Amino acid sequence: MTQRYPAGDVPVIELKNVNKHYGDLHVLKDISLSVRKGEVVVIIGPSGSGKSTLCRTINRLETIDSGQILIEGVPLPEEGRRLAELRSRIGMVFQSFNLFAHMSVLDNMILAPVSVLKKSRREAREEAMRLLERVGVADQAKKLPAQLSGGQQQRAAIARALAMRPRAMLFDEPTSALDPEMIGEVLNVITELAQEGMTMVIVTHEMNFARRVSDRVIFMDGGMIVEENTPEAFFSHPSSQRAVDFLQSIRTPEAL
Amino acid sequence: MSLSALLSQYGDLYLQALLNTWRLTALCYVGAFAIGIVVTVLRVCPVKPLRVFGDFFVQVFRNIPGAAMLIILVYALPRLKIMLSYEMCVIVASVLIPSAFCSEHLMSGMNTIHPGQIEAARALGLTFSQMIARVVIPQALRSTVLPMTSLAVGTMLTTALASQVPLRPNQLELTGVVNYINSRAVGGVLAFAVSAVLYVSTALLIGWIGATIDRKVRILR
Repeated sequence: MTQRYPAGDVPVIELKNVNKHYGDLHVLKDISLSVRKGEVVVIIGPSGSGKSTLCRTINRLETIDSGQILIEGVPLPEEGRRLAELRSRIGMVFQSFNLFAHMSVLDNMILAPVSVLKKSRREAREEAMRLLERVGVADQAKKLPAQLSGGQQQRAAIARALAMRPRAMLFDEPTSALDPEMIGEVLNVITELAQEGMTMVIVTHEMNFARRVSDRVIFMDGGMIVEENTPEAFFSHPSSQRAVDFLQSIRTPEAL
Repeated sequence: MSLSALLSQYGDLYLQALLNTWRLTALCYVGAFAIGIVVTVLRVCPVKPLRVFGDFFVQVFRNIPGAAMLIILVYALPRLKIMLSYEMCVIVASVLIPSAFCSEHLMSGMNTIHPGQIEAARALGLTFSQMIARVVIPQALRSTVLPMTSLAVGTMLTTALASQVPLRPNQLELTGVVNYINSRAVGGVLAFAVSAVLYVSTALLIGWIGATIDRKVRILR
């Protein structure tokens, strides 16, 4: 894979031989992966395959046992301020939105830009309103998260991550906690980001979306990367039996 | 002694005592709250010796009777060449003991915080202290208004320790004033009853304030 990059082009995210255990369970087995600038990588796989864990190791919400993770060529520090600084460059969107429950949407947006990036409140507020406008929830800015629908909360959460001007975005099953009618509005926002060239790693169960938005699909099972291919190749001719079985299993309901 | 006789003779003293109880309660509660927050931050911080110290502090002051604490402050501290006024001894005891309970309430308040809130703060690049100050403590406080209200009442009752040290009449609080009156006149149980009514009224007022604040700041989820 590496040969495809022009020489000297450092991947935004790079994992080298990453291993992780939960007790006896080997959840990540020798994972190597690199994501270059502007690339959209979608990770799919059955539940328990380690895809969420993999996504969360990238900004060290999960620690790893061995291997190396580099952000723009810099190894992730263990703890402390340098880790916080590196995390601030990677946006993260969670399954459960995780907007700060005690603050208005607007305050959610400006907290990190003001306290981490040291922007002025005024500047942060202007940027926040612009981003909320863009994801279509500007009229909810003064409300508390609990007063918004799930789809609105998730769009606000994406805007909150964007307010840090991240080099890359991680999406950990961003639509799994949403009612079906709200999934589309969130996926549209993510699709727009992809079209604008944002570097992204997306863990999702939405196969049509994965096919449409990704440059590369990673199929995980049992803590390993089983298959890695373009979306067209993966979805039309999966090469491993496990991927065939997985795609079969998720297509069955539609066939019924 | 009738109620009217009691109040006409000692009404001013009761009023002064009520104000003293309020003043001591407010002062000690603010002190307990400040120390409680600091100790709680120590108990969850990444530095192990500080965590151990915080836990130790809470165990000590949560498990010491107020009277024993007061005896230590009044009789033992002078041997260490630390001389506090009697009133200051009462204040120190009425700050330290409630501060331990304040920290316990905050710890249980923190347990109600969804782990995703912490992860979001870390993912945005907030440092530990920013996360504590802007996300953890504010949410813990909002979910512990009612226990903190009980703590305010408890702090008020703890200030009755002041009745156990010699104070000037104008320093007496609601319990001390009963001792004072009954050692000079036959106030009997009525002298207690007047203080009891004032304690209960204050507790109801605190409870009402607490419930009002709780309705305003409670986190919707």
